[in-house]
Formats: sequence, C-alpha cells, structure tokens
Amino acid sequence: MKARLLTILGLIVVLSMLFTLSGSALAAQPPQQEGEDWWAKAAEPFKGVTIRGVSESTPPSKYAAEVLAPAFEKATGIKVEFETTSWDQMYDKEIKDMEAGTGVYDFVYIEQDIVYAYLDRKFLVNITQMMKDKPELVWPGYNPNAFTSFVDYFKDPATGDLYGVPMEAFIKVYLYRKDLFEDPEIKAAFEKEYGYPLAPAVNHKQYADIAAFFTKWGKDHNMELWGTTVQANTGHPSSFYEMFETILPSFGVYNWGINMDNWKATVANGGTMNSDRAKEAFAFWVGMLKYAPPEATASTWDEVAATFAAGRAAQGWVYGENAAWIATDETRSKVVGKVGVALPPLYAGVLEDKVLRNKGYIGYYDGGAYGIPHSSKNKEAALLWLQWIARPDFQVDWAIKAARVTETATFDDPRLKEFDKKVDGYFTLLKEKGFLFAGAPPFPFHATIREVIAPFIYKGITGEMSTADALDQAAAAVDAELVRLGYGK
Amino acid sequence: MRATRTGWGLLAPTLIILGFVGIVPFLYVIYIGFFDWDIFAAKVGMVFAGVNNYRRLVFDSEYLAALGRTLQFMIWVVVSELILGFVLAQLLTRNFWGRSVFRTIHALPLVVAPIAVGATWRLFTIPGFGPLPYYLDKWFGIEYSISRYAGHAFTTIVLMDIWHWTPFVTLTLVAGLTSLPKEPFEQALVDGANRWQVFRYLTLPLLTPVLVTTTFIRIMDALRVVDEVWMLTGGGPGTSTRFVGLHIWLVVFPKTAYGYGAAMSLLTLYFTIVLSWLLFIAITQSGRQTAS
Amino acid sequence: MASRPLRKTLSGVGTYLVWIFMSVFTLLPVYWMFVVSARSRVELFGGPNLIQTTFFAENYLKPLSSSTYRGYLMNSLIIATSNAVLVMILAVMATYALSRYRLKGDENIFFWTITNRMAPPAVFLLPLFLLYTRVIKIGEWSLFDTHIGIILVYCVFNLPFAIWLLKGAIDGIPAELDEAALVDGANTFTVIVRIIVPLAAPTIAISGILSWIFAWNEYLFAATLTSVNARTITTGLAEFVTVTGTNWGQMAAMAVVAILPGLLFLSLVQRYIVTGLTFGAVKE
Repeated sequence: MKARLLTILGLIVVLSMLFTLSGSALAAQPPQQEGEDWWAKAAEPFKGVTIRGVSESTPPSKYAAEVLAPAFEKATGIKVEFETTSWDQMYDKEIKDMEAGTGVYDFVYIEQDIVYAYLDRKFLVNITQMMKDKPELVWPGYNPNAFTSFVDYFKDPATGDLYGVPMEAFIKVYLYRKDLFEDPEIKAAFEKEYGYPLAPAVNHKQYADIAAFFTKWGKDHNMELWGTTVQANTGHPSSFYEMFETILPSFGVYNWGINMDNWKATVANGGTMNSDRAKEAFAFWVGMLKYAPPEATASTWDEVAATFAAGRAAQGWVYGENAAWIATDETRSKVVGKVGVALPPLYAGVLEDKVLRNKGYIGYYDGGAYGIPHSSKNKEAALLWLQWIARPDFQVDWAIKAARVTETATFDDPRLKEFDKKVDGYFTLLKEKGFLFAGAPPFPFHATIREVIAPFIYKGITGEMSTADALDQAAAAVDAELVRLGYGK
Repeated sequence: MRATRTGWGLLAPTLIILGFVGIVPFLYVIYIGFFDWDIFAAKVGMVFAGVNNYRRLVFDSEYLAALGRTLQFMIWVVVSELILGFVLAQLLTRNFWGRSVFRTIHALPLVVAPIAVGATWRLFTIPGFGPLPYYLDKWFGIEYSISRYAGHAFTTIVLMDIWHWTPFVTLTLVAGLTSLPKEPFEQALVDGANRWQVFRYLTLPLLTPVLVTTTFIRIMDALRVVDEVWMLTGGGPGTSTRFVGLHIWLVVFPKTAYGYGAAMSLLTLYFTIVLSWLLFIAITQSGRQTAS
Repeated sequence: MASRPLRKTLSGVGTYLVWIFMSVFTLLPVYWMFVVSARSRVELFGGPNLIQTTFFAENYLKPLSSSTYRGYLMNSLIIATSNAVLVMILAVMATYALSRYRLKGDENIFFWTITNRMAPPAVFLLPLFLLYTRVIKIGEWSLFDTHIGIILVYCVFNLPFAIWLLKGAIDGIPAELDEAALVDGANTFTVIVRIIVPLAAPTIAISGILSWIFAWNEYLFAATLTSVNARTITTGLAEFVTVTGTNWGQMAAMAVVAILPGLLFLSLVQRYIVTGLTFGAVKE
C-alpha cells in the first residue's frame, strides 16, 4: 500500500517536471514593431521595477498578460505581474487597496460601471494631468483621439481629463439563428401563423411571437430548441443586469429609472423605476421565461452563452464578447457559422429618441479600462504600460483573439474586416451603431444599489412577488437607501 | 503544579500568534461596528454612529430572515450528520474486510475544496445541463429545478452539506470511540448489561466531550457557510438560501457597507455564542442526569 | 430471537449495504467532477449523460503546463503542510501547558481564541488586509502575499480547534506518568515527546489532518491576502469563472488534481487512528 502511494507521488513529481519543459511553447508571439528605443530610453529610470495589476481572467486580459506583458518587459525591463482573478474578488481587492491606500496594485481593471464610483472617491490618477506634468513619459505615438467613443466613459465629465485607458469594449446585441430564420419550411410556417415574414425582431411583440413560434417548433419536432434565452438567474446579479441594462432601456426607461436630479426612483417622487412602462418591461421579460429552456432561471451571462452555443435557443440577448466565440470557435460552439447579429428589439420611439433627440440609449455598452490607483508606488512605470497596451499595432491581433475594439482605426484593418464576415458583421455594427448604446449610468453607488434592487428582481422571477409589486418595493427601497447614503432627501 | 514559567513559555507562541492575527483584527471589527462606513456613500469616510448599526439590525428584516433560514439549515444539517456520523463511526470500529477502503472513500469529500464542492454540485443539478434534473424528469417525471423552487434549493444544499461534512463527524467520533478506556465496557459485559444499556449509560456519557466538540464545530461552521452555497445557488431562488454568512458577505463585498457588516458579524457571533452556551448547558444537564 | 451466527451474518450484510450505499452517494459527485474534467467545452452541454468514453486531456494539460498553476499547487502544498505541522506542534505545547499548569485566566484565553473561528469571516478580511499590508511592514516587505502570512492566519482557525480536541486526550493521560519521568531526571521536553505525543497520537493525527485539509481548501482569506506569489490552488479554481464563460472542464480538472494530495495525505495518516485501539490497553 505504502509502495503504491509512493509510486503515485513519484509519478506526479515526474509529470510536473515534464510539464515545466513544455510550458513556454504555448505563449504566443506578439507582432514585430519598430521604434523600440524610445521605450527603452523612457523606461531607463524604472528598469528592474515590477508593477502589479489585478484584472479578471477574461480573454482580453489574458492576452494582455500572456502576450503584451512579456513584450513590454523585453522592451523596457519593467516586469508586469498580472493577478487574474474572479469578478467579485477583483473588485473587492482593488477597492480595498485604493480605500486603504496600501499601494498593492499599480494598475487596476476599471469596469465601465464602477468608474464613476472610483472617480467620486478620487481613487485614480489623472492620466491627462500626469502626461502634462511628465512629457518625457509620453510616447510620441500616443494619440488620445485614436479611441472610440467608449473612452468618454473614463473621462471626468467636468474636466474631460482621462482616468483610464480602454482595453476592451463590446455591445450587448441581439443574436439569432440565421440558419433557422432562413430555412424555407420554417419561414413558411411562421408567415402562415403570424401573417408577416420571419425576420430578426424589431419590437417586443415580434420578439415574443418568434419566441413562441420556435418553442412550439422545437417541441413539435422533438428538438432541444426554445424560442429565446433569458438571463434570469434567481441568485446572481446577472439577472438584474439584463433587466436594468438591456430590457429597461429598450422599453425607454433609462438610468435604472432613477431621477438624477433628486435621486429618487419611485414614480411618486419623480423617478421611473416603477412606472407603468417599467412594469410592462419586467412583465414582458419574465413572460419570456415560458419560451426559454429550463436553465434560464439558473443562467448568468455564462449559461446564456452556453445555451445559445449549444443550439438551444433561436434568439437571445448576448454580450458581444461571447457573440464572437459563439460564431467562430468550434471547440466551444455548435452553431458556428449559423449566427446572426442585429440591434435589439425596441419599444416604439426609443430609437428616434436617441437618433433625433440624443435622449436615452438602446442597450448596453460593456467594457473596461486599466487605470492607475492613487496609491500606486510605481505610477510612472504603470503609465508606460498603459500606453503600451494602447499601441495601434497591437490592436488588430488583440481584436481577433478577444473580440474587443477600443480604437477606431482597428475597424478599417483588412484582417479585422475578414474576421467581421465570420461574426455576421458584429464589428460593423459596433463601429456604426455603437453610439446608440451606453454604458452604466454615472452612479457612484452602482454596486450598493444593485444589491438593494436585485433580491426583488429574483423574487419577481420566481413568482414570489408579482412583477409590479417587485418594482414598487424595489423603487421604495432604493429611495430609502439613497437617502441613507446621502443622495437626495 | 510545576513552575508556571514553563507553562507560560509553552503557551506563549500560540498566544502571540492568536493575539496578533486573531484578536487585534477582532478588536478592529468591534471598532468599525460603531461607524457608518459605506465606501461609495456621498459622505466619505467613517462617520461615528454609536450603536445605530445595531439598532438598525434589530429591525432589519432581511437579516433576521437570513438568521432564521440559517438556524433551520443548521438544525437539519447538524442532526443528520451527528446521527449518520455516529452510526458510521460505530460501524468503523468493528473490523471488517475493506474497512480502510470504505473509510478512505467516505473521507474523500473532506479533501475537496468547498468552492469545488459547490461547483460540482451545481454542474450536477443545474436545470437544462445537469444529469440529476434530466434523469429525474426522464425516469420519474419529477420536475427538479434548484433555480425555480426554494424547497428544491434548500434540500439540495442540506444534502450537499451532509455529503461534505458527515465524514468530519465520523472521523472525530472514531477517534473518540477508539480512545475510550476498555475496562468499563468489559465490566459492563460481565455485569450482564445489554447493547442498549451499554450505549446509553457508558458510550454516550464517556463520548460526551467529543460529541460536544464535534457538535459545536459543526454548528459554528454551518452558521458560517459561504463558498458552497454561493457557488450552488448564489442565495437563490430569490433569497431562500441566503444564509447569514452569505448575507454578510454580500453586504460587505458588493454592497461595500463595512460598518454595518461589522456590526452584523458581531451580532451573529453573539447569537452563535449564546446558542452554543445554551446547548452546552442542555447537554451537561442531561449528562448529569444520566450519570446518576 | 434469531441464532447468533445468523444475526452476525445479517449485521455483517447490513454493514456492507450501508457502506456500499454511502460509497455510491459519496462517489457520485466526485465521479461527475471527473466526467466534467474529461469533456471538451462543446461536449459539456451536449446532453447530460453519465457515461464518458472519450477523455479530453487538454483540460488537464493546459493548466498543468502553465507555470502559474503549478505554482499554485506548490504554494498550497507548502502552506497546508507547514500549517498542519505548526499547528500540531503549537497545539501540543499549548494544551500540555493548559492541562498540567494552573495558569491564570486560561478559560478566558480559550474563549477568545474560539471566537475567531465562530464569527462570519467576511468582515475580518478588511482588518487583516490592513494589518498585512500596512501594519506589519519592514521597508518594502509586508505579510501580504507571503506564505507565512497565510500560515499564520490559518493558525488562528486551526489552533483553537486542535487545542480543544487535544485537551480531552491529554487530560486523559494521568499526570503521574509525567511525575514518574520527571523524577527519573527527564525534562519537560522529553516528557512531551516521549510520553504525551505517543499516547495522544491519534488525536494529534486527526487535528493535523483536519488542519491540513482546512488550509488546503480555504478560499476567502487566501484570495484576499495573496496576490501572485503565494496564491493557492483553491483561489486558482475561482479564476476559471469569468464573464466570457466558466471553463468548467479545466476547473473540474484542477479540482480533481487538487484532491490528489489530500487523498494521499489522508490515506497515509489514517493508520494513526487505528493505533488508538491499543491505547485502552495501556491505561491498565
């Protein structure tokens, strides 16, 4: 018995030694660039320094950690230590670090929805100012106008100064099964039943019709197919996010229904969170559950993507970063080549509001940037790193590997255009219609209020409360909490 | 009693570590509990609030509901694990073929990280993708969804905890059983006592210290459970599995209400201590009766 | 009343039935974890069948070939083992002191040490984070992201329990044995090592195992107080959960790998529980 155990132990040791040898081959090589001497010279005083950053372990960050960071170290001698962790851990640690001023991190991932909180607490270094003060650290090739409009989210609204360099951006789009929508038999059956041709839904009624149709079709033909995905996890904020960031805006209820003049959410006090329109939206969305597969109530963005990739849904609202691999990666998706991309279905007047009157938005613009904490001990080295990841020559490869675009020039690259065809024009959509979408509203209390609202959303989904009651109570709770936090009276 | 200096000397390293890394943070938590400290509030920083946090807690229906759920969970789980663990421990003290194999298999869940336990059970029970709901539906026509029905979620979590922690009870009871002195038992057999009497008047009382220790540890851990529940249901459906440990975690982390969270932790700790104290009295009382 | 041999057989059969049922119940989720680790991402939602015929080795190879994950495994090993050893040594010393010496206020000490174990962990993370990054600092070095830092934190959780467990065992060793040895010229150290440890071995072993397991599996404190250098495999598991999908296959693979040392440790130390059977005889 002992001998056997020792043999197993020995095997483990030998195997791990073998893997040491095979380790390095898997790192990809970054593209070749010129003008490296500027970097080496600028980094001279910081040679040998290690900067540490925290980020989520998503493909864009992984690319930065595995490809861009080693190249940076080679060019400058500054080592980049990347801590990749889960979504909630990342937030918690960077907040703790900046709150306590402990200087653990030199760059942090700023998700678009938390940037206002960070700006409010002055957690981040003013990059524009720092560049003015230390021109010797500004790369000649750095162009602040190279970014897409997404960069505006990381600027102080009052001064226009930049606090974060965008590193990923996506829009949450409407995905549909192109192959099913173009199938002649299906088209005929749909038109026969509903009286209009089958096409990606432009409003919620059409969406509901299509969802009902495909659920029935799936049942009648004994397929594992349902009409829609719903990100309705009954215990995870992802359901709150789909409801408040995707569905409500599509119904014309913006900024979570919170009135930003007096910080109230209830209709009685001037908000719109429990307005009739919002209730209609919530009822619609919960109503879609009957056309969704059973995992809908357990679905975060994760399972929604998995559901669509497994071919279990005919349409759905899916985050851009997932849309790309669903459409192209055969090791993960069963519907490669069958994915269609379109703008989400909208309530009458919402699109006109945005296009003609620049009011509101139609959906969610997701993404994040890297910023420098005020407590960092190596701000200069970090600044060099941030400019490194903004290098135009790195953007296309990064876009193809991780489906993110943060600089406008990337859209015109022929390689990206080629890739765009495979994702049914997602990047074209991002380029041309991206301005219709918006990130999270400028709430410093984003996470806190989300936690207040979420339990009511969960209960509305399970039916423990009616959807109307859920919104009423959520809005009242928000009013109370905002007062307690010092916003409004 | 010998030179107490040696005694203190032996105890010192333990005290130093526990003092610095255990008590100092604890005192800090008590300190924070008297402040309003929300990271993203309009008024920045720590604002002295006296006992306001505690007053709020008494009326906090979410918190009280979480406490209630946790108590329910704890009772189910601790009672089941004690009974099951005891039966299994008894069986393990006998010598039978394959005993060490079974013992090793049984202890396996203990070496799986709670977060992996939660993840595995989630994959196993997730509607649509997991085998359990699939086969329950296919073979028995039962609709099983932990994300839809609070009862299903609660039951699954109880089962998961029993799966995970019964071996802990079994192992400690085995250690206890094997450490029992032999003569009282031999004496009892000579005196003609039957199995039940031996159990009731010898095994139980002699085993009481170990039983008490194990029960308390299980109670404390059940009241603190976070990772497994988080992975499996996130506290859902709705808030039906949001136990107090998870609730505090949600208040401190995403909601960044540090002051309130500190007060909540302390109040929960207080309840735990009171509960343990009451149980301790109850057990020692009944122990005294049995001894006579 | 059935005859003795029949009752014996029935109880024997009963025992086996119980154990087989328990083993199936125990192994099913573990088996499932293994199945998930053997599936590629596409296969994972290809239908929940319980049988797996192919083995997608990449789930294991990818993380294992990354020096980061191997580092995590190594860190976990170092931290868990050091912690178990430290706890066993300190607990024996402390419990011996509490048992044999009348020390003022030892009841209170005991109480305070337990509270950390009893309280919900979430809030303690902030003070510990501050302590490790700001307070205990010598120049650039701090306790944050170090092995020793985590080992010390785990002591706070494991020591009280170990002491609690050991108290019963050491109290049960008659003080006359110590006296006899001391009279013969032994010092306290020899008494502890030669008399106490062998007699309390099963309990020491159990507290060691449980400390090791706790340290190996702990997530919350390791995630907060480590960053890149001292990260453990359990926190590494959480990294698989991302916005672009949880890589359940790789996560399950690493979870399976994470079980192996624990299993090894467990089976090696199990024999000491059995040794306790002779303990009763010694007490004659």
